[in-house]
Amino acid sequence: MRSFFWENLRIALSELWGHKTRTILTGTGIVIGIIAVSLMSTLISGVDGLFENSMKFLGRGNLYVEKWPWFGDEDWWTLRNRPRIEMDMAGEILERSEYAMVVASERGRSANLNYKELSTENIFIHGVTANFPEVSTVDVEFGRFFTDSEDRTGAQVILLGSEVAKSLFPLENPIDKMIYAGTTRFRVIGVLAEMGKFLGAFSQDTQVIIPIETFNKIFHGPWGMRRITVKVPEEYVADAKEELRGVVRVLRGLKPGEKDNFAINQQESFRQTYQGIKVAIGGTGLVITALSLLVGGIGIANIMFVSVKERTREIGVRKALGATRSQIQGQFLIEAILITAAGGLVGLLISTLASFGINKFLFPATMSFGVAFMAIALSAAVGLFAGLAPARKGAKLDPIEALRYE
Amino acid sequence: MSLIQVKDLYKIYQMGNTEVRALDGISVAIEKNEYVSIMGPSGSGKSTLMNLIGCLDTPTSGDFFMDGINVASMTDDELAHIRNKKIGFVFQTFNLLPKSTSLRNVELPLIYNGAIKAHERKDMARQALERVGLGDRVDHKPNELSGGQRQRVAIARALVNNPAIILADEPTGNLDSKTGEEIMALFDDLQALGNTIILVTHEEYIAEHAQRVVRLLDGKIEVDEATSRAK
Repeated sequence: MRSFFWENLRIALSELWGHKTRTILTGTGIVIGIIAVSLMSTLISGVDGLFENSMKFLGRGNLYVEKWPWFGDEDWWTLRNRPRIEMDMAGEILERSEYAMVVASERGRSANLNYKELSTENIFIHGVTANFPEVSTVDVEFGRFFTDSEDRTGAQVILLGSEVAKSLFPLENPIDKMIYAGTTRFRVIGVLAEMGKFLGAFSQDTQVIIPIETFNKIFHGPWGMRRITVKVPEEYVADAKEELRGVVRVLRGLKPGEKDNFAINQQESFRQTYQGIKVAIGGTGLVITALSLLVGGIGIANIMFVSVKERTREIGVRKALGATRSQIQGQFLIEAILITAAGGLVGLLISTLASFGINKFLFPATMSFGVAFMAIALSAAVGLFAGLAPARKGAKLDPIEALRYE
Repeated sequence: MSLIQVKDLYKIYQMGNTEVRALDGISVAIEKNEYVSIMGPSGSGKSTLMNLIGCLDTPTSGDFFMDGINVASMTDDELAHIRNKKIGFVFQTFNLLPKSTSLRNVELPLIYNGAIKAHERKDMARQALERVGLGDRVDHKPNELSGGQRQRVAIARALVNNPAIILADEPTGNLDSKTGEEIMALFDDLQALGNTIILVTHEEYIAEHAQRVVRLLDGKIEVDEATSRAK
């Protein structure tokens, strides 16, 4: 049995080598299909990693009381007309909620920063309570965070995000330097460790943090972000959310039957939305893959029919010399599988190079061994299916007719 | 029992409403080491008989024993095995694989034999090529050989599996008369070495090389006689 296999492999290789252009053109569909499937899964795994990293910014056990829901399809005007989040709710929440472990208040808006002749524009000024580090991933690299009493007294102290520190203090140590946020003077007390971007786009390193009372003193008016972050035990986050909803409803004086006029956001809603997007991306990738493999497969079937026709006489000779049906069939099947497997390999090579590119310029992404293996198996399977009908046709030829064929 | 034993062989084709009796009750026996010519005008059933003897086709009815085995009702794959082991074909148009060397062409029946190791195959093919006087042409491709040399390669290919019969269909049809004579001399030698040869031809002078001529007409045996070369 083995000798037929090697013979068939040898025939297939010399046939494909003898028709290089034809082989390349025929294999292209498979190349595209394999690029689509392997690159798509590499991208998804990369985006997954990116997403999971970003989710660290939003603690799993954090509930965010805000005016606007992060996702959803509620009427914009209804949302717009909701009352602002009252920042003094924080204390009440901590008192009334069983689950709440830490309750931090946050406000935010953007402003320009100046240090001597250097300035940076549109920096996110984040006013928070002193317990903010407990509900977030901010980490002080140099200096210190502000204290509770600094917050209560509205001290003009500031912590700089790592990017901000770099642009305002390229050469100096920023600690204890005086900078301006708008027209207010602040003393730099700390620099935050680098955090990266949220979902690959929103840099967490271009913010500055000040005490929320100081923020309240300086920035008046309704603009900007306001939220109350409630940290609860991760394992009870669903129960805690219901409880929190009840607490806020009571604080807001809502009657039974009235709709919530606030939102409780959590990491989970990001997760659900992301899952949806991921399914959509994956589905599109699968459709592209299936289509190009189908078209590629049809092309291969077609060229194999041509090949069988061209080699009718050769088939006759081989049959006269004792080749059985399955040996002839094997000969053409191996040829079809070789085209698609080679196409698969080339496709894999291209998407491996592409994934290096993605890695370098976009985000960390690597092609898994499983994906590579699956791509090759898939392309070989396409060859098997595409080659089956032509190979059977060749195998069934009547040797007498085939020998007479001109 | 004879090497080939054919009894009441019929091959009937249905062409629309008419019935064509390509072979109309043929009985013939061919012994080991015989040298037989099959002759007849076109349409006489000559090719049909050759296809049946070559196990490329099965009869409509009748018995056909090859080396004691009844091949009349065999499946395609069984016929392929019989062709591989019992029959060596020599065609008018040589039918060599154009992209393969002489050695690979001759090796082919051994590959489909399936039971012979690669290095043995090479040795056997080389020996067969030496027997037909082409020991120095093993690595040549068909287009690098003359017509006579190509037919010798084809004969080497027919010999290599030690078949029970060598079946030659107009083996000199594509050769000039001088080369044709050389090929016929080769067949004479092969017979002298113990091979059984069946020759299909319409040329009297070629048929004269055989010891026996079977003449067909309208699907029936018209004459079955010894030639002047009969021993």
